[in-house]
Order: sequence, then structure tokens, then C-alpha cells
Amino acid sequence: MPELTYLQAISEGLREEMRCDERVFVMGEDVGEFGGAFKVTDGMLQEFGERRVMDTPLAESAIIGAAVGAAVVGLRPVCEMQFADFVACGFDQLVNVAGKMHYRQGLAVPLTVRLPSGGGFSGGPFHSQNPEAWFMHAPGLKVLAPSTAEDAKGLLIAAIRDPNPVCFFEHKHLYRRIKGEVPAGAYETPMTARVARPGTDLVVIAYGAMVWTALEATEDLDGASIEVLDLRSLVPLDTAAILDSVARCSKVVVVDEANATCAAGAQVAAFIAQHAFEHLDGPVMRVGTPDVPIAFSPPLERALLPQVSDIAEVCRELLAY
Amino acid sequence: MATHVADGSERANIRLVPNSLDLEDRVRLLRFMLLMRGVEDRAMHLYRQGKVPGSFYDGYGQEAVSAGAAYALGPADRLCVLHRDLAAHLVRGASVARILGQYMGRSGGFPAGRDANVHFGDRELGCVGMVSMLPDMMLVATGMAMAFKLRDEARCALTWVGDGATSRGDFHEALNWAGVQRLPVVFVLENNQYAYSTPTERQFAVDPVQRATTYGFPGITVDGNDPEAMFEVTRRARERALAGDGPTLIEALTMRMHGHAAHDDMRYVPPELLAKWRERDPIALQEGRLTDEGVDVAALRAEVTREIEAATEQALAMPMPDPATARQGVFAVGEAQPLGDGRAPWSGFHPEAPHA
Amino acid sequence: MSSLPTDASAVIVDVVMPQMGVSVAEGLLVAWHKQVGDWVLADETICEISTDKIDTEVPAPASGRVVELLVEQEQTVPVGSVLARIATDAVAGDPHPDEQGPVISRVTPSGPPPAPQRPSPVVRRIAEREGIDLARVTGTGRGGRVRKQDVLAYLQDRERADGPAPGESAAPPAPLHIESPYRDEPLGQPLSRMRRTIAEHMVRSLHTAAHCTSIMEVDMSAVEAARAGRGLTGLAFVARATIDALQAHPELNATLEDGVLTRHADANLGIAVSLGEEGLIVPVIANAQELSVQGLAERIRELAVRARAGELRPDEVSGGTFTITNPGSFGTLASTPIINQPQVAILDLEAVVKRAVVVTDDQGDSIAIRPMTNLCLSWDHRALDGALAAQFLATLRMRLQDWRSA
Repeated sequence: MPELTYLQAISEGLREEMRCDERVFVMGEDVGEFGGAFKVTDGMLQEFGERRVMDTPLAESAIIGAAVGAAVVGLRPVCEMQFADFVACGFDQLVNVAGKMHYRQGLAVPLTVRLPSGGGFSGGPFHSQNPEAWFMHAPGLKVLAPSTAEDAKGLLIAAIRDPNPVCFFEHKHLYRRIKGEVPAGAYETPMTARVARPGTDLVVIAYGAMVWTALEATEDLDGASIEVLDLRSLVPLDTAAILDSVARCSKVVVVDEANATCAAGAQVAAFIAQHAFEHLDGPVMRVGTPDVPIAFSPPLERALLPQVSDIAEVCRELLAY
Repeated sequence: MATHVADGSERANIRLVPNSLDLEDRVRLLRFMLLMRGVEDRAMHLYRQGKVPGSFYDGYGQEAVSAGAAYALGPADRLCVLHRDLAAHLVRGASVARILGQYMGRSGGFPAGRDANVHFGDRELGCVGMVSMLPDMMLVATGMAMAFKLRDEARCALTWVGDGATSRGDFHEALNWAGVQRLPVVFVLENNQYAYSTPTERQFAVDPVQRATTYGFPGITVDGNDPEAMFEVTRRARERALAGDGPTLIEALTMRMHGHAAHDDMRYVPPELLAKWRERDPIALQEGRLTDEGVDVAALRAEVTREIEAATEQALAMPMPDPATARQGVFAVGEAQPLGDGRAPWSGFHPEAPHA
Repeated sequence: MSSLPTDASAVIVDVVMPQMGVSVAEGLLVAWHKQVGDWVLADETICEISTDKIDTEVPAPASGRVVELLVEQEQTVPVGSVLARIATDAVAGDPHPDEQGPVISRVTPSGPPPAPQRPSPVVRRIAEREGIDLARVTGTGRGGRVRKQDVLAYLQDRERADGPAPGESAAPPAPLHIESPYRDEPLGQPLSRMRRTIAEHMVRSLHTAAHCTSIMEVDMSAVEAARAGRGLTGLAFVARATIDALQAHPELNATLEDGVLTRHADANLGIAVSLGEEGLIVPVIANAQELSVQGLAERIRELAVRARAGELRPDEVSGGTFTITNPGSFGTLASTPIINQPQVAILDLEAVVKRAVVVTDDQGDSIAIRPMTNLCLSWDHRALDGALAAQFLATLRMRLQDWRSA
């Protein structure tokens, strides 16, 4: 099986779908001639032509709004926000027009928004955000956040095939840092969680880049057997998998790279407190970025984003509880 | 097609002489306007009887803007309809009973009570229901037109937008996008002089129709109270679009004769202004023309009244939605169904056999 | 005076100027012992007052944070005036609302917990289930707290000493039985595909329909007589009678989907066929109303054979409007079958058993031995009501009890 980087896997997923479904097309800033700010769409203009790889004006609201229009007349647009942070400019179209359309009118909006998210490379406040929770909170939107190359491809394909608007959060810091075996051809990864490492003493629940940080932090932690659950899908949230892990491990640490207040992890923690109370052997702990814009200078950024040592320390304390 | 240039002091009305409407078409235009006014009047009664929840918005005095423009569209065209454009729904074939049911939040309405009374669209007839944030729908219409162009289809998209909404970013993003991609979209700017209580002097520093040229395509001002002029200018804009010449911005001059909504007494509108526009009522105008042609307008009115009464009874018999269904339908399941085709009653779409 | 912003849900207690004596009408505030923002305990002195009768310290009426002081030093106010306000749901040590607390959580070390210690939910549960006295368990958690592994270790030791308690499983607590394809060691045998399909359908049916079951006792003598010598199963007779009853009560020959109730003109009768351990399948006899008892019997037999051989076509297991199931051949007397979605009812034919029953004729009452069976109809209360279900069963019974061979 070929090994691809996370970024290559995303490109491949997009390509596979473009090849087998002519309704699929890409739209975004600098995605055509330039091949995309991160080169995800490199070479696609040459393969598919400018009708299917569209360089748009600099207008996030219009990108998403026009995508809604195209979707309700039978196409499958895959919009790219150059950075997830810029989706704020298109928030209204995504939340109010796309998200609510089916509930209001029975009209499906099969669009995908690709969102390069996350920090860790001195991107500063406007190039480092993890705004998943804004959209988890908006009814009618699905929210995905893969952490492996294989899942990135399979979930993107699943997103494109889904008849609903899907926010696909691809973590920029994983683009070239991680590689994995990626099956060839088109396949759909289910919108469920995945046990990244099974364990019995404690489970760390995370998604995106934090899955890797969690794996590193708990690789060899005083001999404890620590499970890492990769959520992969935030809406729909795989509550069955969460309950299963908590039932077996009884101690939980939930990790967010996003600003902690009302982040995805807050929802997971609330769910566990209500539905898995009888299985808990300790308080549900959270590790998250404080409610501070992501700073640019490396020592400041490191002080904000959860590090391997932060996760390890919280795990140690909870294990000892 | 002439581009209008405002001279700053007065807007010239372009009286286009339509030669593409036969008598039946002209009667139908009146009929749709009468139906719109009658339905909204009935809805207002129901509102005061407590049967229409929330608030109620109507397009009294603006009926020609939607009737005329929608009448020019083909079955495969797509529309984003706003809250004062009821006649557009009627032209496309929406059921009056369902519209009234919709206003009353009944389960027989288009979204079965999920969205507010005027935010509806029958997706099977090619109409997208609006959201409250204006002019979000301009971008959706732009996107639909984009899809038509990508697939080389001979269709256009049309949306209405109010004078107030021209101040928001989406207006500009839509005009810009439509202009730079030369899309088959028609924007009908419904300038009814007021955005709630805000008059146009507080809304823009230039005539908004001028903005079209700055985005690369023509803008034209038309008498929004003349349904035949509305039809003609829209028909031409559609032809332009289908010929691949890009978008058009049509400014339809009209007046909002009622308050912003049922709860607004519009005390901020000078009475002289209303008086002046009352003399130019679109229904009165069309009735006058047709009476001159020997059409029995009274009989038409009576027929419309009967239709509305029957529809009201039907609507009142519709049950309220089952609370157990409140959580259903957030997500689509299975294959996404795109918008369907609507009716296109204009005779120009149904060419008769050549005359002997 | 000064005050602290509180949220609307805070529980506020007033501190009032006390009446120190029957004739006292007012008091002077001598000094405040607490300032806004301070924490005060109940009965702790919050201020000193002076009246013409007495000087005294005023104890706080409740514990909490002082959020407002309304009277200044040396100010005189009438008795009963509010002097200060305390927010009683504040917790000592909480940060001031303006402070930003650290978000990276830490389990704050707070020293040995006060005894007696509350066991965590999972520890309590295991202890209850296994009959463990937690006082005897050595805790290795913070401050000597009993952790889950401690109680599990205790259990293991106890077992080694005693052997497993009779009739009780000493296994560690089983996880919630939720299927997870990601576990390394699956517990037990995963369900087969057919079983999973059946399971999903059954659970979904129970969650969708409002199941009620009505039971009708039927005297099968007439049917037995008609059957004799013809080699036909009782099921075929019941099927034919059911079709007749459905034609008399068409509300039961219906499907309910997405709130839409559809009555069907044709009776597409599903007959449940057991596939042994593997599960069951429901082939459908389309347009069953056109078949006689003989025809039904033959069709049932043919479908059952093909079902067991796995040769049914997709169109033969779909489109059903009513289902009959017949587990009674194994001797059961009553059951509550699960409706086959999206139908609105299902009929269960139980064992035919000879019973002593009371029969009434023009000679009066007497006891006879009759072959009796129970027809169990599960029906969806969303689509119909008990009266209708009962009427259907009554018609069905009448048809069966009055059976005359054609």
C-alpha cells in the first residue's frame, strides 16, 4: 500500500471524486493556476480544466453563498477557505443559508468546505485557529477533523458524497509532518471515532493534531495503559465510542487545541458527565488552549497550545487520583 | 440595451413598449397581482385574528415588481424570492392554499412551519426560500447562474434585493462575482424607498443602479409599478444572460405602501409621498389598460376572490405541525434532490401554431 | 455605596439594621468589618452599630461574598434598612469575576480528603455488585482514596482466597455492551450479518411504533375438521381468514411511514420463516387475496423451501402489507411479536392445545374438549386504536370458528 503524506491523501481524495463524479468541482482563492496556498490542488487545473477548478475572487461569503446556489441546482462544490480562520467572513452564508436550508425547505445542500486549521508554526492569531465549535453549534452542518492520512482521504470523500453541508477541517500542521498507508482508489471512511491506541487505565480523547500530541505524551507514561480515542467526526459525534472507552478506562482526559471555552472537548466532557457518570473513577479533566488569541512568537505560542508535557502531566495526576 | 445614467435630480422612467405580451398575458399579469394583493389582504386579516403567528410582511403597492419580472422566466430558470415578492411564487405555480397554510404555520405549508411565514419557497417549482439576512440570497442566485454557465445551460437565475440590502457586503460580492464571471443572473433591485424606517438618502451616496457599471455590467431603471415594463425589461435581461452577455441589474422604482411589517405604522413616511404613489398603483394601472381593451376586470376580481376564499378554507383545515416532528429533517439523507422546474405561463414560451 | 456586579441568578441575602429594643427606631453604623468583595462566614461580625439602647456587633446572616454595602460609616438609618448584601452562592477561594482563571486544568492537590471519603461512582458500583466492604480495601489514590484498580485487585485477592462466590461472576465489570469495531479483543462472538440486520430492524421497529398486543382465544374445531384429510397446515387457514378480515378491516392492511398512512388494496402477506439458528426471513405472498386455502398452503410451502435454501429474490421479501408468524408449532401459548416495519400490525399464531372449555348451546352450559389457540395481534397505536384491533380479531375469530369447507 502506498505511503502518502496527510496533504497528498487529501489531494488524492479530491482527485478520485473529481474523476468519478463530474458534478464535483473545486472553488477557492488561488486554487487553480497556483495550485492552492498549500498546493493541495496542484495539477488539478491541468487535469480537470478551469470549469472544475475555479479561481474565485477574494470573497469568502461569495464563495460559500455561490456554492450553495450551485449545490441546489445539482452540482457538488468543494470550497476551499485558504485558512480556516477566514471562514468567519463567510459565517453567515454557511450557518444561516447552507446549514438551515434542509430543515426549512427540504432542500439539500451537498457542499463541502475545506478548512486548513490549527497552529504550531508562528502563524499568529489569524492563521492558527481551530473554529470547529462555531460550526458544531450550528444545526445542519456536519463537522469532520481527521488526524491520519488514511482518514483524511476517506473522510473527504465521505464529505463530498454527503448530501449535507460539511466542514472539513484539515490540520495544516499535519500536512507534511505525518505520513501513512493510504489505500488506493475511492473509499469512504465512516463518520465515527477511531481508537488510535487501546488502553485500560485512562483514555485521552482528542482530534486533529492533538491526537499525535496525545499519543506521544502517553506512549510510555509510568507503565500505564492509556487509550487514545481519535474523534475524527465532531458532528455527528460518536457517542457510542466515547461511552465505550470511558466504560473501560474510567478516567478521562479531553484535549482541545481550540480555545477551551465551549470547544468540542467541552461538549464531550458534558456528555460523559451525564451519560457515563457511573463509570467514572475520577473527574473528567480537560487540557485546552486558554481563551487567548494564538500568539505569533514561538515561546508565547508554545505557552498557549497544549504541549506533550501538559497532557502527560494531567494524565499523571489523574492516574494517581 | 440602454444603460441608465442618473442625472442626480430626477430618475427618468423608461417606458418600454412591450410587443411580446398578448392580451391573455396582460390579463394574467393583472390576475397574479390581484391574487397577491388578495392573499396578503386575507393574511393580514388572519394575522389580526391571531391565526398568523409572529409578524407579517406584505408587498402592497409593489405587486408589479414580482409579477412582471417572474412572468419573464422560463421553467428551467431559478429564483430567490423575497418577502414582498409573493406574485413570483404565484407565477411559478405555488398553491395559494399552501401559501396561506404557510403563513399560519400549518403542517401543509412549504417548510411545514419550520421557517417564518414569508420565508418560503416551493423547491419543486424552482424557488429558494429566503433567509432573514439580506441580501444573502444574491450570492445563492449568483451560484446557481455560475452552475448554469459551467454546464453551458440556456437558463438564468433571478433574485430580488431591496434598497437597504445594497449596503451589505454580500450585495457587492455578488455583483462583483457575477460581473467578473459574466454570469447569467438577473438582479432586480426593488427600490421601494424605505428600508424599515431608513429612507434611501441614508442608505447610499450614489444611485445603486450605477453600481452595476462599476462592477462591469449594465444597470437599468424601470417603473416598478408597470407590470408590462417590468416584464419587458426582465425579458431582455434574460435574453442577454442566455446569450452569454452576463448579468443585469434592474432597478424597479416603487413604493412600500404599507409598513415594514404588520406591527409598523410607518409614521416616518411623509403622507405626501404615499399620496403621490397611491395614484400610481400598479393594479389600478393594469386594470385601466385592460378595461380599455374590453376585459371584464370585475369578473376577474370576483374569480380571484373566490379562489382565495376556497384556498383559505383549505388552509384553515390544515392541522398544526406535530411537535414530535420538531427535531426531524435537520440533515438530508440519501441522494440530494436539486430544485425542480416551475410554471412559465408567458405565451412566448408556448409558441402557437403559425397563423393561417 | 460600592457594589460588586453579580449575575442575575445569584442568591442574595440582605443584612438589615436590627431592632435593638422595642422603642428603637433607628441605628448608626459605627464601622464595617468587611468590604465589598470580602468573604464572610455566617455569624461572623460584618459591622458594628450603635442605637440609643446599645452598641453591638452585627453577625452576618449567611456565608458568602459581600457584594454591596449600602450604608456609610457614621450614617444613621431606620431599623430594618438593608445595610449590605451577601451573595450566598459564591464559594470561598473563587477568583474574582474579573480575573481570568487558568484553563489548563490541574487536579488541585488539596491534602488528604476529609473522612469518610465518598467512593467514585464506578468504585461504588463494583463494591455493591460484589458485596465488598470498602473499608477493607486499601486505597492507593490521592490521600488514600480507593481507586477502581484497588477494588478490582481486592476482588482478585478475595477470589484467590475463596474461589469465586457461588452463582456470581468474579469477572471485572463488563464494559457497556456497545459494538465497537476498534477493540482489539472482541468480547464473545460478533453477531452475524443476518442477525445484525434482524437486530437493527427489531430495535428500530420498537422505537418507531407504539406497540400494543391484543390476544384472542379461538376455537379451532371447525378448522381442524376442514383440515382433516387434506394435508393442509392450520397456518394456511389462518392466512386465508386473515385476508378476509383485512378486507373487512382495511385499516390494518396498511403501512405507516414518515407520518403518512397508506392503505393497500392488495393483501401482500408476509409469512415469517425460521432459518434455525441463523435467524428468520419474511417472504411475501403478493396479492394473497387471490389465493384459496390450498393456493396459500402451496405458496407458503414453496417460499419456505426456497427461503431455507437462500433462494429468495429481493422482490419476494419486500412490499409486504401484513405479516403472520407461527412459532406455535413449538408449543408456545402467547407472545408479543414485533411489527415488521413499515406495516401497522402483525399476527402471531400460537400452539393449538386441547383444552376444557365451556360451551353454550340451547341445552345450557357444558364442558367440552376443544382445540384452542391464541391469536396474538401486535399493532401500532399510532395508526389505530384498541377497538379496531379487537374488531379485527373478532372478525378473524368468527371466520375461523365458522369455517365450512367450500
